[in-house]
Amino acid sequence: MKINTLEKIIKNKQNKKEFAIITNLSTGETELFEKNTPIAKNLERYINQINEFFRLKKNGVIEGTEIFIETYRKPVRVIVVGAVHIAQYFTKFAKSLNFEILIIDPRGYFASDQRFPDMSIINKWPEEAFKKIETNENTALIALTHDPKIDDPALQHALKKKFYYIGALGSKKTHENRCQRLKKLGFSDEQINSIHGPIGIKLGGRSAPEIALSIIAQLVSETYKNND
Amino acid sequence: MKNTFDEKILEEAFDWVKSNQKVVLVTVIQTWGSSPRQTGSRMIVNEKGDFSGSISGGCVESSVVRECISLIKSNEPFKKLEFKVSNEKAWDIGLACGGEIAIYLEQIKS
Repeated sequence: MKINTLEKIIKNKQNKKEFAIITNLSTGETELFEKNTPIAKNLERYINQINEFFRLKKNGVIEGTEIFIETYRKPVRVIVVGAVHIAQYFTKFAKSLNFEILIIDPRGYFASDQRFPDMSIINKWPEEAFKKIETNENTALIALTHDPKIDDPALQHALKKKFYYIGALGSKKTHENRCQRLKKLGFSDEQINSIHGPIGIKLGGRSAPEIALSIIAQLVSETYKNND
Repeated sequence: MKNTFDEKILEEAFDWVKSNQKVVLVTVIQTWGSSPRQTGSRMIVNEKGDFSGSISGGCVESSVVRECISLIKSNEPFKKLEFKVSNEKAWDIGLACGGEIAIYLEQIKS
């Protein structure tokens, strides 16, 4: 592989592009294919197989050829509401996992650069923030403020957009009250029961890093649920 | 759903090349049976045999490192290797889990 190609791959990854690295194993040549852009002439005959690899989210050799394909898709987007203590550990732990993490918190004193040095935090109310964020059933929400003013609008948005994972911090009592509020707003029991509350798998720990770990464990497990 | 699988090995490879090391990129291109790492798993090796990442979780790494050093010495651009368990060699190199993997070695060229 040429260093220029490697540099381009790294750039594509940083820019969250959907692309494939296509290596001809018998010549050692590498080409890049970006989704939704014209494909190089010499690869045209493989376009269907390449798209199939994207669809199946996999890597491999095209059968009967010496062409190896590695696909890069957009990472799952995880929206954390509340730039709280747990969120600091959450972002630290999640660094080696391939999630795209966005933090929303309207409270400036929480959302400071000093508390989250490598993260850009959206310093807005969730309703405002969601207007500018693309969300869909591949998005996850982690609500950590346990303040209904901030968490509830985010939960409503996530339920409407059918996020694949929705978790909300708070005790059983807090969660019960939250469910009642959502019910009054017209959300069905099925929708409300899809919220993971209290959030996280049971690890037993109560400190901020332990809770962060239990949330990450649940998030990863839900990400791969119903998978091959 | 499945998230993209990514371990930042390519980023590390770039840094190694930029600091004047000769780097071989190793990729799992095919697997059969139960193999410890999935297709697309990567490892990098330099001319001294330092390595990062993994392609089999420890089973065949040492032999791959040797292959990478000889690839650099002979200045070959790439090479394909296959590993499987053979009875007499199971204790030496090979995959204890009984799987087979094909891996691809390629030098990064500036």
